[in-house]
Amino acid sequence: MGIYALRRILTSIPLLLVITALIFTLLQFTPGDPLDAYIPPDQVISVQQRQIIKEELGLDQPKAVQYVRWLGQALQGNLGFRIKNGEPVSREIARRLPPTLLLMGLGVTLGVAFGVLFGVIAAVKRYTTLDNVLTFLAFLGISTPAFLAGLLGLYVFTLKLGWFPAGGYQTPGDGSPLDILRHLLLPALILSITYVAVLMRYTRSSMLEVIFQDYVRTARAKGIGETKLISKHVLRNALIPVVTVIGANVANLIGGAVFLESIFSWPGTGQLYLDAIDSRDYPMIMGITLVLAAVILFANLITDLLYGLIDPRIRYS
Amino acid sequence: MSKFLLTSLLACAVLSGPALADKVITGAFDQGPGGAPQQFNPLTNTAGFTWLNKYYSTLVLYDVNFKKISGDLASSWTVADGGKKYTFVLRPNVKWHDGSLLTSKDVKFSIELANNPDSGSGFAAKFGNVTSVQTPSTRTVVITLSKPNAALLDALTNFMILPSAQLSKIPAKELRSSAWWRTNPIGTGPFMWSKYVPDQYVELKANPNYYKGKPKIDRLVNTYFKEQASAVLALKSGNIDFTYLSLDDTKTVQGSNATILSGPSQVVNYLGFNLSDPRFKDVRIRQAVMYAIDRATIVKQLYGGGAQLANCPVTNDKYEPKGLNAYAYDPAKAKSLLQAAKWDSSENVEIMTYYGDQLSKDVLVTIQQMLAQAGMKVTPRFVDVPTYNQVTGGNNFAMVYAGIGNGPDPDTLYPSMHSDFIPPNGTNRMKINIPALNKLFETGQETASQTKRIKIYQDMCMLANQQLPWDVLWTAKRFGGVSNKLINFVWTPAPAGGRYDDQAQLWDVK
Repeated sequence: MGIYALRRILTSIPLLLVITALIFTLLQFTPGDPLDAYIPPDQVISVQQRQIIKEELGLDQPKAVQYVRWLGQALQGNLGFRIKNGEPVSREIARRLPPTLLLMGLGVTLGVAFGVLFGVIAAVKRYTTLDNVLTFLAFLGISTPAFLAGLLGLYVFTLKLGWFPAGGYQTPGDGSPLDILRHLLLPALILSITYVAVLMRYTRSSMLEVIFQDYVRTARAKGIGETKLISKHVLRNALIPVVTVIGANVANLIGGAVFLESIFSWPGTGQLYLDAIDSRDYPMIMGITLVLAAVILFANLITDLLYGLIDPRIRYS
Repeated sequence: MSKFLLTSLLACAVLSGPALADKVITGAFDQGPGGAPQQFNPLTNTAGFTWLNKYYSTLVLYDVNFKKISGDLASSWTVADGGKKYTFVLRPNVKWHDGSLLTSKDVKFSIELANNPDSGSGFAAKFGNVTSVQTPSTRTVVITLSKPNAALLDALTNFMILPSAQLSKIPAKELRSSAWWRTNPIGTGPFMWSKYVPDQYVELKANPNYYKGKPKIDRLVNTYFKEQASAVLALKSGNIDFTYLSLDDTKTVQGSNATILSGPSQVVNYLGFNLSDPRFKDVRIRQAVMYAIDRATIVKQLYGGGAQLANCPVTNDKYEPKGLNAYAYDPAKAKSLLQAAKWDSSENVEIMTYYGDQLSKDVLVTIQQMLAQAGMKVTPRFVDVPTYNQVTGGNNFAMVYAGIGNGPDPDTLYPSMHSDFIPPNGTNRMKINIPALNKLFETGQETASQTKRIKIYQDMCMLANQQLPWDVLWTAKRFGGVSNKLINFVWTPAPAGGRYDDQAQLWDVK
């Protein structure tokens, strides 16, 4: 397994390289460069001033040189500097990664817990009113964009019920773990909605496939308790496709987090990413893309390794 | 054990008591078009001055109605040599937040820094004709100009004076994005920098040595919101005390725990034509567009009265002469003008805009329909600012829908309408080249007499009304929402925010 993981990590390197080259090329086709974003439409900047800033940002060099320079620096661990404030890109990302991981971590945990639970309930109580209600809610959850769910959540739970603060990471002047948790709960719950919905559907159908198999009937005939039967014999075998879905949805989760971070003013990488795109901050965009791509590849690797834990028959070669 | 826990919790609550009891105002001060969230360099900032002048100060400042300029750091000033020599006397005993004394050297340093191309400051364009800054005494600054500039005082209302002792150590090139601005900057304003949590908030604390008196509140917090809707929700739920509001927001905030403040935006909206494009050279085309748009109905229906029709680029009453053509809605006249100018009705023209709000979308769709009725096909195109800047910096575009700050001093329009400033040299993005207009802007800037200046800008207004370098449509109001628990809070919209005396030292909480 160790060799398999190492091989997977090594094959990720050329993939990351291709991703960065692709993003860099696409950026060149985006209208407006960092200077166009930096200077507002009615701001007079002389040709000389413009040239000084251009040289400082390395924008006077040919595109290929810019990319090779960036890559050379990136390989040495230097992702460049954020154009907006001159801070090192790596520091800016490092500062925002913990809030994002916190949000995504809790979102996934809640999503998996409730998704699998509801999926099992729906499968066990199949074709009952409860199953129908859960299925209806799941479809509603799948089809509601994170952006809309976020605004609705804020409206209901913050404005009308007053249960949660209106976004942000902490109350200025506070910032205790409890204060952060209070700010985290609502966006994490909303982020988990799509996950709950998708996982519920997959768990349900996967459970239904297993539940009718001969070995389940045999186990039941041998007098095994229903709870033990479902949890140990059915669920474990039904989990493999579910784990695949969890892994495959990490990219979606990041996408959802980008919007939710904006709505909830959550100071994570998603907000930083949107800001970088708005300001055509090439080094920042490249840096975040690299980190997010690495996170997704890593999540896929973990997913593949989890298969072996769930089903001992799976061998890595 | 549980008793011990309870006692500890109570002790913590008591200890944290004073921190909770202090007076704090929290607002989204950088929300909306006048804001510049997390941009702290006053030399390169083009907006966000509302926030910057809470901890920096300027030599002079407008009153809240933008009628009169009075001293801030300067206690008095004189203008001599036909408007070429400005002498400022500084207030005595003004201290920087680190306790050192503000002197004329700081003023000299700040102006020279802005004029150094390495600092990348937009103020260089406004201070371009400054030939020398002299400091005959610690409280006297003499600015000498190569030619008179009646708009200098207006420019200085936005120009923050910086501490030379700290900043002269940093090379100008590095200063542009130096960490100094966001770690522990010092100014002379009513509040002092206390804490910055990136992407979340900046906290300032009261400056006990402020020259107009110690502020009544202890802390002032500026929180950041990526989404306008979230800021409005935070205001309504009482999490913050102030935010900018769009016209649509005002409808939802009405009747809540907040009061709506409003004022003229000092921004005119216009339809601009790429005047280097032969299709728009004929003034009859631009006139036809004016006649084809029922501006009164748009202002009434879409803006709900929250805008005023404008017939030339300046909207301050005193610069508007009598006898302007009001271009009242006349679709038949529009049609005949288009025909007379041989406009090809099969041609589809793109109107590009950087506005992305719902109101602007509604406005452009309405204009599209009205122009179609007159025989001109247009398609709105919504882009972001970098795209707009790049496209209008070149010649490959047809029309734009944009807004421009037109006050308080009309000289502010100079670089957007004078032919010297056609890109890449400036922001005359529509490539206006009318020699008579150039001349009026030049004499307006050089004329010291207020009466003569008014006449010059009235002539400019009349000329622009006839020649239509832009089809000026209206000037809208802008809004802010403030919590009912604040006392003495002063806010008014302004292009780029700030530059007026909001007496933040008197702001208080009930």
